[in-house]
Amino acid sequence: MDVDIPEETGQSSTHYIRRPNLVLVDDAHPFDLDGYIANYTGRTAVDRLIHIISVCPTLAPEAFQLAVQHIHQSRDPSLYQQVMSAYDAISGLSETPLPSAMDLAQLDTRWADEMMAKNQAERSKLEVELKTYSNNMIKESIRMGHRDLGDFYRSVGEYPTALKHYTKSREFCTTSQHVLEMCLSVLELLIEQRNFSHLPTYVFKADAALDAASAAAANAKESEGSAPAAAPLLNKRKAVSEDRERVQSKLDFATALSSLASGNYQKAAYMFLKLGPAKDFGDWMGKLIAPGDIAIYGVLCALATLPRSALKTQILENSTFGVYVEQEPYVRELVEAYLSSNFKTVLELLNRYSSRHALDLYLAQHVAELTNMIRNWAVVLYFQPFASIKLDRMSGAFGWTVEEVEEQVVALIQSGAIHGRVDSQNKILYAKQTDHRAELFARAIKAARGIQATNRKVLLRMRLQQADLTIKAPKGYNSSIAELLQGD
Amino acid sequence: MAPDSLSLDRILNDITTTNNLQALNHTLKNGLPKESRETILSSPLASGQDPLSVLDLRQNTLGVLYIMSARLNATNAPVQPNAVTTFCQTFLPEQARLAPERVSLLAKGIVRLGQQHNNMSWAIPPLYHLLTRYPPDLSYLTSFHYIFLQACLIANQPAAALPVLAVPIANVNTSLSELTYNDNLMYHYLGGIVLAVLKKWAEAEEYFEICVTAPGAVPAALQLEALKKLRLVQLISRGEVLPLPKYAHSALPRIFKNSIYTDLINAYPQNAERLHLLLDKEKQTFSSDKNLGLVTQAIDRAPRWTLKKLTATYVTLGLGDIARVVGIQSEDEVRALILSMIETGDISAQISASGTVTFSDPPPQFTKEEVDSVLYNSQAQSELLESLEREMARSKEFISKAIKSQDSSWAGPGPDEEMYAMSGAWGDDSMFG
Repeated sequence: MDVDIPEETGQSSTHYIRRPNLVLVDDAHPFDLDGYIANYTGRTAVDRLIHIISVCPTLAPEAFQLAVQHIHQSRDPSLYQQVMSAYDAISGLSETPLPSAMDLAQLDTRWADEMMAKNQAERSKLEVELKTYSNNMIKESIRMGHRDLGDFYRSVGEYPTALKHYTKSREFCTTSQHVLEMCLSVLELLIEQRNFSHLPTYVFKADAALDAASAAAANAKESEGSAPAAAPLLNKRKAVSEDRERVQSKLDFATALSSLASGNYQKAAYMFLKLGPAKDFGDWMGKLIAPGDIAIYGVLCALATLPRSALKTQILENSTFGVYVEQEPYVRELVEAYLSSNFKTVLELLNRYSSRHALDLYLAQHVAELTNMIRNWAVVLYFQPFASIKLDRMSGAFGWTVEEVEEQVVALIQSGAIHGRVDSQNKILYAKQTDHRAELFARAIKAARGIQATNRKVLLRMRLQQADLTIKAPKGYNSSIAELLQGD
Repeated sequence: MAPDSLSLDRILNDITTTNNLQALNHTLKNGLPKESRETILSSPLASGQDPLSVLDLRQNTLGVLYIMSARLNATNAPVQPNAVTTFCQTFLPEQARLAPERVSLLAKGIVRLGQQHNNMSWAIPPLYHLLTRYPPDLSYLTSFHYIFLQACLIANQPAAALPVLAVPIANVNTSLSELTYNDNLMYHYLGGIVLAVLKKWAEAEEYFEICVTAPGAVPAALQLEALKKLRLVQLISRGEVLPLPKYAHSALPRIFKNSIYTDLINAYPQNAERLHLLLDKEKQTFSSDKNLGLVTQAIDRAPRWTLKKLTATYVTLGLGDIARVVGIQSEDEVRALILSMIETGDISAQISASGTVTFSDPPPQFTKEEVDSVLYNSQAQSELLESLEREMARSKEFISKAIKSQDSSWAGPGPDEEMYAMSGAWGDDSMFG
């Protein structure tokens, strides 16, 4: 049901998203909503749909219907309110009138009431249980009580309460395995809540717990299995490390997301690229993230920040990450085009899938920045082997007008990414030629003079301190200054 | 009227007969009652003679110094300006150094006399002689350094201060002259102003920087003023501001950040429109800070820096394009600007008949003499540092500290090792220096 909006299809490639909060979906920028959302289950599906509703008027009605369907499978009727308000907001912004929300889908009120009652009942039940456990002072049960309540609150969308219970359960953890479990729950919660700034704290805690847990597990197994042959022991060890890797992948993923959110794209790239296979993620896959997302996040971050050689080894020759890449075939095209310096294709692909990126919950805020970085890198890489190049050749290679190329190049020169100068009359870009010998002399002499001046000043300062002529704040200090100021 | 021992005749007698200058100084300083000392010193002799005409200005430096400084600061005891000038030219520094506080007094008196006669230019030569003859050399700071600069500024003869400002202060000796931290701040602040008036930007920058980075537990208001002027001077001479040295007081940049000067710096140099707006709006503040002249100069020079940045980006550019970027309407003005920049050596460029400007950057050239002089200076500097290091290693404070740490911990790094480590560090420094 893609609606063609005639304007803007005429490709103003560089500034595709005029208003950052509205995303266009049409033939030139395809997006398969059903296929996309089928990758997700549970709450994240609704969250993602809300994001789509709030940025893309074209898809909003369809997304709205899907969202209502998903809400019926969840336990949180209040989500409906969020979906409604997002939909209302976008209908206000959209140029073409959107169908009324009531006509599209209605919330089953009976279901909602039942669900509310059920939630209420379960909450009281869990709270009573927790109270009993607390009275009996059984640590393990108290921990489980908190954990269950945390899970419950999370499922009904009360994040702060859920977080409170999760963190409380920590006090009753007896083994590092439990701490690890708690940390993972919190991480899952934080990711769902999109509270990325707190992720590293819990990743760190989880890391420590993981070390302790695997060490303990290894010890236990060693002590019980000292008699049996070496082979089973090896197997068990392997099991431990597999277990560890699984958790490690989740932690790496959390770190990667938080790096992405804080704009540290290089770290994010490395983290995404070293993630383990999809099965490591267990129920996180789908509940939080789809394999295709990992491919997209990883590749975009990598293209924006990593050097070519790293791209080759880390993406194309990385079989684990290759599996993710298979999910989104265009990503492979993107990397290959980039590595063969076919930058026009790279930019076209980026533009074509820009709506796919902008509609992604986690990526949306960073698309513009990442695309910019990739473009800049591309220009820098393209110019590297040349001593001088005509700007119209560059414009051919990138698919831009000469003016756009000049603008880009000038910006890059001023930011120091390209060492060159533009002949704006003849439209030629020259690489800067430096006389290294002369420059060395200039720098040495400048440094010598600078150091001498600094030495002199520092020595005077030392003398002043030795003579105790330091500025103190005595009484009458202000009046003397006032007097001095009149003096000049 | 006054007892014999307190009359000027008696004092005069002491001055002319004594051989022991220390004792004489003591008598003059402490032998007279505090309240009436200045009056007695500035009174005429019983015979009505001027005591200064009796004394030899050179041989009796100490006595003359006392009497002259007292009379210059008294209300009803005029001094012949010629006598002051002659005294400053001929006094014996060794004698004068016995009474540093009277020298300061004399300097203040000279300024007073200049003010009374409404002729500050007169005060400059005697002050200059005083300043050059009293300390062992010009690198010693005295308490009347800033008085001299003040006189130069009031007399509107900043160039007269150049010989003094050319020698940077490197020594501080409190027994030579009664110093306070203000003497240092004032001298360097005023020095900066003098140099800025003369458009010697690089030197002015250094003087302001010394004032800004003077050591202290709290920042002084004068330092903030110096920082404002420092920033403006940097904008004028470099088109950008440089970070302050690490040892500057951390509160200063913080206070400075809240001032309008920060807006000015942020808008400089590209945002010409905003600069002029700021100037119009804050004219009052700038002029009450006495910085309006510097601000105007900085803003007038803004197009130069924008243009200079262009040379790093472009090889050729049309006059029209330059005018657009720099923010000047007429091409003729741009042409004039470029020509003046080429003349002053800020850029190297050629303007073709069609109005195309071709920029080039010839590699910097250095003559053998320049390199030699730099090397020579570096060697001198490293020798200086070495001698300082040895001096410090000999100093009482260092040795007592070294011994103390030796006593307290045998296990830790001994003082010897510390000393070696330190001398290594100094050696490195001097190598670079």
